[in-house]
Parts: sequence; C-alpha cells; structure tokens
Amino acid sequence: MNWTLALPEIALACAGLVILLVGVIPGRNTFFGCTMAVIGALLLAAVLVLGQPEGTALGGLYVADAFSGFMKILALLGAALGLVLALDFNRRESLDRFEFPVLALFATTGMMVMVSANDLMAVYMGLELLSLPLYVIAAFDRDNGRSAEAGLKYFVLGALASGLLLYGVSLVYGFAGTTNFDRLADVFSGNGGVPAGVVVGLVFVVAGLIFKVSAVPFHMWTPDVYEGAPTPVTAFFAAAPKVAAVALLARVLLGPFGDLAAQWQQVIILASLGSMLLGAFAAVGQRNIKRLMAYSSIGHVGYALMGLAVVSDEGLRGLAIYMLIYMLMNIGTFAILVGMRRRGRAVERIEDLAGLGGTDLGRALWMTVFMFSMAGIPPLAGFFGKLYVFLAAVQGGFWTLAVVGVLTSVVSAYYYLRIVKVMFFDEAPAEGGLDATTPGLAAVTATTGIFNLVFCLYPAPLLLAAGLAAAALLG
Amino acid sequence: MLALPAIPLLALACVPLVGWGLRRAPVMAPWLAALPAALFLLVLTTPDGAMFSLHWIPTLGVELAFRLDGLSRLFALLIAGIGAGVFLYAAAYLEGHPLLHRFLAVLTLFMAAMLGAVLADDLLLLFAFWELTSLASFMLIGFDAHRAEARRAAQQGLMVTVAGGLAMLAGLLLLGDAAGTFRISAILAQGSTLAAHPAAPWIVVLIAIGCFAKSAQWPLHFWLPNAMAAPSPVSAYLHSATMVKLGVYLLARLNPAFEALALWQGLLIGVGTATMLAGAVLALRERDLKRKLAWSTVVALGTLVALIGIEDPLAATAAVVFLLVHALYKASLFLIAGIVDKKAGTRDAMQLRGLGRRMPITAAAALLAGLSMAGAPGFIGAFAKDLLFTVQLGVPRLLPAVALLVNAAMVVVAGVVAARPFMGKPMETGGVAKDPAVALLVAPIVLATLGLVFGMAPHLISAAIIEPAAGAILGRPTGIALGEKQGGTVVMTMSFAALGLGLLMFLGWRRLQPTLAGQTWLDTYGPDAGYGRAMRAVSAVAVALTRRVQGGSLRGYLAANLALVFAGAALVLVARGGLALPLPGPWAGPAQLALAAVILAGALAACRLRALFGQVMAAALVGFGVGILFLTLGAADLAFTQFTVEILAIVLLVAILARLPFHAPDARRAPERRRDALLAAGVGAAGTAILLAVLSVPFDPFITEWMGKAAVPEAKGRNVVNVIIVDFRALDTLGEIAVLLIAALAATVLLRRTGKPG
Repeated sequence: MNWTLALPEIALACAGLVILLVGVIPGRNTFFGCTMAVIGALLLAAVLVLGQPEGTALGGLYVADAFSGFMKILALLGAALGLVLALDFNRRESLDRFEFPVLALFATTGMMVMVSANDLMAVYMGLELLSLPLYVIAAFDRDNGRSAEAGLKYFVLGALASGLLLYGVSLVYGFAGTTNFDRLADVFSGNGGVPAGVVVGLVFVVAGLIFKVSAVPFHMWTPDVYEGAPTPVTAFFAAAPKVAAVALLARVLLGPFGDLAAQWQQVIILASLGSMLLGAFAAVGQRNIKRLMAYSSIGHVGYALMGLAVVSDEGLRGLAIYMLIYMLMNIGTFAILVGMRRRGRAVERIEDLAGLGGTDLGRALWMTVFMFSMAGIPPLAGFFGKLYVFLAAVQGGFWTLAVVGVLTSVVSAYYYLRIVKVMFFDEAPAEGGLDATTPGLAAVTATTGIFNLVFCLYPAPLLLAAGLAAAALLG
Repeated sequence: MLALPAIPLLALACVPLVGWGLRRAPVMAPWLAALPAALFLLVLTTPDGAMFSLHWIPTLGVELAFRLDGLSRLFALLIAGIGAGVFLYAAAYLEGHPLLHRFLAVLTLFMAAMLGAVLADDLLLLFAFWELTSLASFMLIGFDAHRAEARRAAQQGLMVTVAGGLAMLAGLLLLGDAAGTFRISAILAQGSTLAAHPAAPWIVVLIAIGCFAKSAQWPLHFWLPNAMAAPSPVSAYLHSATMVKLGVYLLARLNPAFEALALWQGLLIGVGTATMLAGAVLALRERDLKRKLAWSTVVALGTLVALIGIEDPLAATAAVVFLLVHALYKASLFLIAGIVDKKAGTRDAMQLRGLGRRMPITAAAALLAGLSMAGAPGFIGAFAKDLLFTVQLGVPRLLPAVALLVNAAMVVVAGVVAARPFMGKPMETGGVAKDPAVALLVAPIVLATLGLVFGMAPHLISAAIIEPAAGAILGRPTGIALGEKQGGTVVMTMSFAALGLGLLMFLGWRRLQPTLAGQTWLDTYGPDAGYGRAMRAVSAVAVALTRRVQGGSLRGYLAANLALVFAGAALVLVARGGLALPLPGPWAGPAQLALAAVILAGALAACRLRALFGQVMAAALVGFGVGILFLTLGAADLAFTQFTVEILAIVLLVAILARLPFHAPDARRAPERRRDALLAAGVGAAGTAILLAVLSVPFDPFITEWMGKAAVPEAKGRNVVNVIIVDFRALDTLGEIAVLLIAALAATVLLRRTGKPG
C-alpha cells in the first residue's frame, strides 16, 4: 500500500485533529491561534502537494497527477486566503470560535480527496467530508435567522444532492460491476454500447455534482446561502469548494465516463448555457452585493463549464485557467466586501459603496480592477479566462456557446460596471464613507489585485501548468 | 526596432507618474504636452514597415506585436499631434481644478491606448487597447460626476462601446481561427482568400458591430452626442478626432481582406449612408454648440465608413483626406466651443451673438476652421469635398442626392458654430466675453491654420502621408496624388450647389430649427430612448426571473430539483429503451407481502397526516418495516443496523420537536397539495421503473460465491455472515461501531444540553 502518496491529505487531517485538541483549551479564546495554525497547515499541505510524485495509491482509490496538483494548490490557496478574510470579521461579529478554522480545514481535506479521487466511493467520501463542515459554517452565525436559514437550506438540498449522487453511484456499480475509475473507463471503452442503467446512473451522478458546482438547474441554494451566511463564509464558499467541485466534475466526466461524452455533453452544454444566462440576467436586479456575487458565481461556473462541454485539450486548459483566475478575483472582491463597514456595522448593499472613490480611492481602484476583471475587460486577468474558453468553444465549433457567452458577458458587464459607477460617480451617503479596512484585508486585496493586473504580462508559466493539468486528465 | 513598441508603452508607463507628479506640482501640467510632442516626432522618424514582436502568450500564438505602415502612421500622428494641442489646452482649461492630475493621467492613459490600438499588429493586442480606450472614455465623460447627465452618458457610452467590443471579440476569435493566426499583417498577406471562408459572413458582421458601436454608426450613434457631457478637451480629442475613428481604423485595416465580399460593401455603404442622413437631420435640429458638432461628427464618421465600403482608389484617397481634414477642423471647433462656453456662459447657438468684436482671435480661428469644414476653395477641406463628390457620383442610386443634402447640412453647421456666434450685435447674457489666455488659443489656431497650409501646399503631405495610408486601405498603391484636379464640371456644379443650398439653409436656420425640433417623435422612437427601454427591460426580466426561479422557499427548490432529476432519468430510461421487468424469481411469501403493505401504509400515512408527530411515526413505520423485511430475507446484520439508525433518528427527532415551537399544521392549500402529490407519484414511479430495470439485469454472483468458498479456508468460520462482519470487513464494522457510538454520544450531549435553559 503506497499510502505515502496521500501525504498531503494525511498531514492535513492530522493537523486538523491536533488543532482541534489544542483549540478546546478552556478559558482562552484560541480563534486567532487556531486560524493561524490552520493557515500554516494549509500552506504546508500545499508544499507537500508540490513535492508529490505521480501515481495511484490506496488500492486505486487515490490518484495524484498534474491535474490534481494544480487544482489542489488552487483549493489550498483559496482556503488559506478565505481564512485570512475571516480573521477580523469573525472577531467583530463575535464569531471568533476556534471551530471555524478547523471546520474549514476539514472541508479543505475533503476538497483534496475529491480532486484526487480515482473511485466513485472516494468521490462520495471527499464530497461528504467537504459538505458536512460547510453545512455547519453556513449557519455559523447561529443566532442570526438568515444564517441559520442558509445553513438549513444548504443542508437539506445538499443532502438531497448527495443522496442522488449515491443513488447514481450504486446504479453505475450495479450495471458496470466496479466503482474504480480506470476499470469503469475500460468497461465503457468497448464497442458494445452501454446499458441504459449506466446512463440513468450517470444522470444522477451529474445532477449531484452540478449541485455542488451550483450550476443551473441545481443552483437554487446559492443566492440564499451566499446572502444569508456570514460574509467570510460566503467568500470561502465562492472560492475553494467551487474549484474542487469543478475539478471533480471534470475528472469524473472525462475520466471514467470519458467515452460516454456523447451522453453527457448535451447536459453540460445546457447547464453552461443556463448558468451563463441566469448569472447574467438575474444579477441585474440585485441590490445586495453578496446576492449579486452569488449570481455572478453561477455565471462564472457557466463559463468554466463551457471549457468542459467542448471536451478538448484546449477546453480543459481553459477550464483550469478560468478556475485559477476566477478564484483569485473572487477572493479579492470579497476581501473588499468583508471590509465593508460603516461606523463599525457590517453593510452589504450596493449603495453602501457609493462615493468610495472619494473617501478611499485605493480601495475603490482595486474594486474597479476586480469588477473589470470579472466583466472580462482586457488587459485584466478575467479577460484571459474568458478568452481561453471562448477560443476553445470556437475551435471546437460550438458557436452557440461562444455567442451566448459573449452576449451574457455584455449583460454582466452592465452590472459590474454599475458598481464602478456607484463607487466613483454617486454621492457618499450622509452618514459618511466606509470605515477604514484592516491590514490583513488590504494585503489580500493588493495581492490578488496585482495578480489580476500583471497576469497579462507573463502568463506563460501558469498557462503551461494549466496545459499540463489538462493533458494529465485527457491523457 | 525598439522605438516602435516604445511609443505606446512609454505613454502607458507615464500614466502613474502623471497622476502622482501633478498632484504635487499642478503648475507643471502644461509641460505634459511635451510627451505627445515627443511621441509625434518618434512616429515621424520611425520608418515605414517597421515591425516588432515579442512572444507574449505562446500557447495561444498571441504576440506583443507592433507594426507601422501608412495607415497607422496617419492615425498615430493625429493622436500624438492633436494630443499635444489638447494637453496644452486642457491644462489651461481645467487650471486649478482639484482633480486636474487625475484628468490628465486618464487622458495620458487614453493616448497610450489609442497609440497601442493603431500600432498593434495582433488582433487580441488591438482588442485590449481598444477596450482600454473605452474605459478611459468612461472616466473622462463622467469627470463632472455631480451631474446626473454626465453619469448617465458615461455609463451609456461605456455600455455601447464595450458591448460592441465584446461582439467584436467573438468576430476576432473567429477571424483568428479562420486565418490560423492573430497577426494582422499575416492575415492581410492572405489576400482575399479569407473572404471565401464559410465563417466570413459571421466575422464581418460581428467585427462590424464592434466598429459601428465605437464609431457611432446608426443605429448605435446616440451615445456620442450624450458624451458631450465631458469637458471640451475630451470632446475634441476623444469624441471627434481620435477614439471614434478607431472603428473606422479597424474597418480600413481589414478592408483588403474582405473588400471582395458583397456583404462587406453593402454593410459599410448602407450603414454609412444611413448614418450620414440621420446625423445631418439631427445636426440641423440641434441648438447646443457641442451637440451640434457631435452630430456633424456622426455625419463625418458615416461618410468615412461608406467610403471604405466603396472599392476604388479614389474612395480610399477621399477617406484618408477627409479623415485628416475632419480631425483638424473638428478638434479646433470643439476647442473653440469650449472657449465660448467658458467665456460667454452658454452653448446655445440661438442665443450666442456678436462675440466677434470682443474675441477677435477666437473668431479668426473659428472662421479658418469653419471655412475648411464648409469646403471653401484654398482649404484642404475643398480637396476633401471634391474627392467626396467625385466618388459619390461614381456610385449611382441614392448617394449623390444624399451627398448634396449632407454637405449642405455641413455648411449650415459650419455657419452656425463658426460664424453665427461671432456675427451681429453683442448679446446681453453671459459673462464678460473676451479672448482667453494664449494657452487656450494655441491649439485651435494651429489646428485651424494647418487646414489652410495643407490646402495651399498639398505636396507637403501627399506622398508622405496620404498615399501610403490610402494604399493600406486599398491593399495596393492608389497612384493618386493629392492636389490633382478631380472630377469635372459636374463635380464643380455639385460643389457649388451644396455651398449655395447650405448658405440658404443657414440663413433660414432660425426658422428651420424650431420646426425640426418640433418633431418629437424623433426622440420618442429614437435609439436613445430605445437604449433606455432596453435597460429597463433587462431589469424587468431580471426581477421577473428571480421571482420565478428564486422564490426563497426550500420546498419549492426541493420540488424543482427532484422533478428535474427524476424526469431526466425517466426520459433517459425511456429514450434508450431501458424499461424492463425483472427476471422471474422466487415469489414473495405472505409475510413479506404483509410487510410491504405495512410499509406502503406508513408512506401513505406520512403523506396524509397533518401533525408533525404523526408524520414522524408514520415514517418510522416505513423504516421498521424495511428492517423486518431485511430480517425475513436473511440479512440480519442489515436489519439490526437499520433498527439502530431508525431508533436513534426517531429519538432525536422527537426530542428536538418537543422543544421546538413547531405547532403550526400543514399550511399548504389544496392545489399545492395536489401538485406535491403529483410530484411524489411521479418521482415514485420513476424510481420504481429504474429499480425494476436494475433488477432485470442478471445478478453477478461472483462476490457471494467467493465469500462462501473462502469463509472456511481463509477465516475458519462456518457462519458466512459472521465471517464477513468480523473478519473480511472487520475494519468497516469497526468504523460503523465507532460512528454509531459517536452519534449516540452526541445525541446524549444534545439531549442533556437542551434540558437546561440557554
């Protein structure tokens, strides 16, 4: 048993147990210490991932390749940055309990298992390890009705999705006789065609996974949960888990079910189209900026799925690069949203940003960078994310996808630019501008902002990594 | 060849320096004009055909590539040259403004982006600079952010140009895919082969949309007059001389590749002509000096687009000459309009009278520019007009008549803007009108005078500027020198007819304008109102959509999810012929049938009962029924697991329900209950069908047989179930026990906790 291959996950899980033990030391608030320790553990895991050899382990349940490495680094980075955002916010909102970072850590372990899954059972285990902590932290502000409702909704719908996925897995197992990805791929690669039961199972599996990436039509939990959960939790939700879920969807569909592309391609195309359209049109009427970000994330997943739908090397590379850019611009945006306070109270309406250009030019400019990047305006990073998936769609002959993608980009540009307009051209409200931000948030904003700005100067190494990741999955 | 990329990149690098430096030392602002002046010289001294390229995104084949040829040189010279004048003017125009540094920094950014766009030799690089100019325009139009109209205009301009830009991006991607490269020079080198590509119509239409939006072509022309909310230097620089010509530039640039396509010609000539007409009528209707000039810019842009669509050496020459002429006089007139606005306190052309005596120098500059605009002999404008008429006469049907009308309208605009405010008796209103400081006058005078100089000595620019640029549009040398007499007596007659008609209309403009302005349907059904309606429609769709799909009700979400998945699965099953009945097997005994009845009753009761406790108990009946069923089928371990989980779940549920304020009965109304029942029945039917299909597949006894065979030799046990639980799957069992234990512990803690208050 070559268990050392899974060292990053094992180290992370052990670190989680140790931190949990330390965290319960009574009589002291260990929130800050635990968060720092968790961030350290996440970064340690990232280093271990970088040094990870390739191969399969644990009886074929676990695989490490360039794709898993790329996505794990993204997820770990996203989780670590997400925790930085929570530091100050949770203290001020009396949410500074040490369970928060520990739950995030276990969720991240789940993400890593998902990304490295080479067996449908490992998929399910990773997914549940991710979901259970997330249900809890969505309701972390448990005395707040909206947060509790968010947690409950997420739990009920998530449980349904997990159940559907498991049902699908059992159907696939029943008809194919195995849950291992490599063996499934062998079974499906024959010319004999596949039994209808496998395709029905595939429907359930895809439905469960689409729920996790929050694409249309299983997106319904997203706006309610994003709005209700505490802002750093929303930031966490929108970054790392999304990367892991998209990576898992890609791995499951292109790995064991790669030869059944004809069966699932239409579904992914429809999900991509629906997500892009809904993400663009539903966001226009929003006043709450977290809700707007929820629709925005649905739209972004639609663009990423475009890369999956074309089933090509270019498409998958586009997906990988899209997730990287999406995560960093999202974390940057949320670093600003988490810091939105007026006279000490957290605010989350779009109008609350009015006049930021006059009161805090630096923050307004960074927000402008993120909004323009999200809208896909060159030369910011977001443009390249869109460019790669559009290009892949055009090369694959999927013109409908590309044209709808461009159309929805126009509509979404409208609401991103509206935020810029509000910041620079609207009057600050009478109560005064937003409070000053904290050094931690400012650092996250600046780091991700600089990435968005300079990505265009030398994108080659990241593109190379994304290309290797794509090649690893498509073989 | 480092001078070439240095031109845009140097300007780009200066942006933060300008913003930072001028905030500390605003008095240095006028010296900023040295930057465009230096760039002007750099462009002038760079040889034709200079190229530079650097691998940028190798995996995509995108390169940081620049190239200088006749067409890009003409544009770069205009950008840097007029830029120098505008920077000088702007520093004086906004002197003492607290945000002067920001204004000039954005203006520098704009100039850098423009230079980058016209020098780029890569489609995507060009696109990046293209969008950057839209952003700079947005910031500059909204500079007076306290005015609502400026905010609206800024957003509208950005929306239209960015939306068009994104359509163009799709076109550029298709073009790059069709040509196999994003290098513009390589695409043009393929000649007209691209026009035969199956995607060519798409490419043409998508790229044209982007260019039309940028260059304010009908029906996307409405944003340009609204953009006049920007300070005058911006109107002069962005919205007449340079940015709005970027669309014209790209059309001209790609013309050699697509000129053979009838769609290309028809689109450009048709839209260009419509734009000319619309702009001319609206220009006559307008009273505001700047908006009037903006409408005449729309006319000029329409003219240029139509000229590019006409495949003829003369048309290419006419386009280049007219482009240059227009840039010179229009920038000058905008700057003068800014001076008038500042000094006389109004921009209403009806009110402005008799400024000539108080502002003689301004009046002289205005006269020079106006004469060039009207196409008076001796000015370069006259060449442009002769060329225009010659070309337009060559295209039969509508064009000559349109040309006559449009040119007459231009004479009126020239008269109303450049002559009328300065003639007659001094008006009463407004501030103390007098000639402004020298810094404000330099640019308009120089630009207006150049129109006369080039008119007198066309050889100065003919071989150096005009011919190479026209050759680039046409894709081959034109062989036409500026200054050669064009056309015959017909053109001459037409030219005079236009001038005469224009003069007549100018004299009657005081009465003509109110009549035209009275046609309110032009506003009600115009594209500007259409833009407003479209924006409101998008919002309405958004609200309706969110209300429909995002009601916030968890039950609704659940219903939608279940319905979708099971409908999808059932559809797949039916479509792929997967429906099947199980193989005949051992029939169930009476005990099992009875248990099935109990389970069914439990399920039905859970649906029918209205009280929460009753529902929990009914659901428990289902669970226990299934457990006993397992028992009767010989799966004792499964049955006991089922019992344990079921008991734990019920105890917890009841314990929690007892403490929660859940006393409201089922609040669903009859139709909702019917819908839910239908959904439940549908999901149940689909699930049953799937289950039956699964059971119809022959059972693979491999594992069962292996367990049976290996139990004695491998694990020394005769009870196979025991062997499986405690030996073969011992780790699983350990895990299960641990989970159960933890769950029971957690339940105990929870139950004890909730007993206490708080």
